Amino acid sequence: MAALLTAGSSDYSSAMVAATKPDAREEADWIRRARQSDQRAFEALYRLHVDRVYGLCVRMTGSVSEAEDCTQEAFIQAWNKLAAFRGDSAFGTWLHRIAVNTVLGRMRKSKRERDRIQAAEEIMPSPASVESDGNLRDLSDAVNRLPEGARHVFVLGAVYGYSHEETSGMLGIAVGTSKAQLHRARRLLAQQLGEEGTTT
Amino acid sequence: MTTDFDDRQADDVLMAKARELETAIAPERDLWPEIEASIDADVATVPDAGPERGAPRRYLAQAAAVLLLVGASSAITYKLTKTEATVSPVVTGVELPARLASFGGEYPLGPDYGLAHVAVESQLNAMLAHLSPESRAGVEANLQVIRDAIAEINTALESEPDNALLQGLLVRAYREELAVMHKIGGLTHDVMSRNDI
Repeated sequence: MAALLTAGSSDYSSAMVAATKPDAREEADWIRRARQSDQRAFEALYRLHVDRVYGLCVRMTGSVSEAEDCTQEAFIQAWNKLAAFRGDSAFGTWLHRIAVNTVLGRMRKSKRERDRIQAAEEIMPSPASVESDGNLRDLSDAVNRLPEGARHVFVLGAVYGYSHEETSGMLGIAVGTSKAQLHRARRLLAQQLGEEGTTT
Repeated sequence: MTTDFDDRQADDVLMAKARELETAIAPERDLWPEIEASIDADVATVPDAGPERGAPRRYLAQAAAVLLLVGASSAITYKLTKTEATVSPVVTGVELPARLASFGGEYPLGPDYGLAHVAVESQLNAMLAHLSPESRAGVEANLQVIRDAIAEINTALESEPDNALLQGLLVRAYREELAVMHKIGGLTHDVMSRNDI
């Protein structure tokens, strides 16, 4: 948690909420109230989960501005779909699924958006800069340079720890494809990091 | 030259490093105010987002425009009920069709919305003739506020057609326009019925 508080260097209340993480009962109460259209309860849920949702979006899109838009869209959709949340999975996981769908939806629907996401100047300096360790920063940069499919699988599987079944479900791909993309990502990352290692 | 064992070891190190990457990253600005504006444009105040770091508050103008719509709608109803003092109470909270499926300049609005809009606008134009010039000018000015907001949101949507935040605001704006037109139509219809009697 200390890393989170120093990493983002933000001083508004989301970090404060994250620092005083509520117990499961309190979160369940916020969810119940939010489902009854209590905006303050939903804001509390937003404050609790925004960093992990934004983190996922920024790593999947590689763009700060895209990640901000995706995060906002994801929470708006979550608000609209709250009645459909049955608690089969953790609320954070449910939010992640919505965020992944949002990112993929934006990429699929608009080539213009996708071009913008992939534009070289948009390759994010910001998320990488949160890594205090030089090796991690290199890895973060290298992940950003991965092709879209490999990056998405690597972020969900290797960074966020989702299984191939979960990752393939979120991305709408076959489990075999998820495994192949992860293998591809690892090979490309090893190449990139190896080359950087030899040039420095 | 590397062996398979070396490759596997390097791979293990890579995966271990991946698990050390931050999974929670704080946004550089507070994203909540724009979310709040979208999920409930009826809220009269948008909380202060606090200090920003150069990031433009892109959607707050549109959100503010939609907030204006609600005020405009209420003002129209109030003005008409004051001016045409003998008019029956207006039916509020009317649910009118609005299509969520198409937005921005790239797409036409759905057929349900189009039909409803044509019908209500036709009714509105006919009924406006029964209002005093002052009331009519007030109604038209207020409707223009709504239509300006719609145009502004549509312009923003042309550059970001998939933006759910803007889509939500646009739907609200169209609904509000339709509801206002419907209210005025119903109001003036009541006036005419009374005169007929």
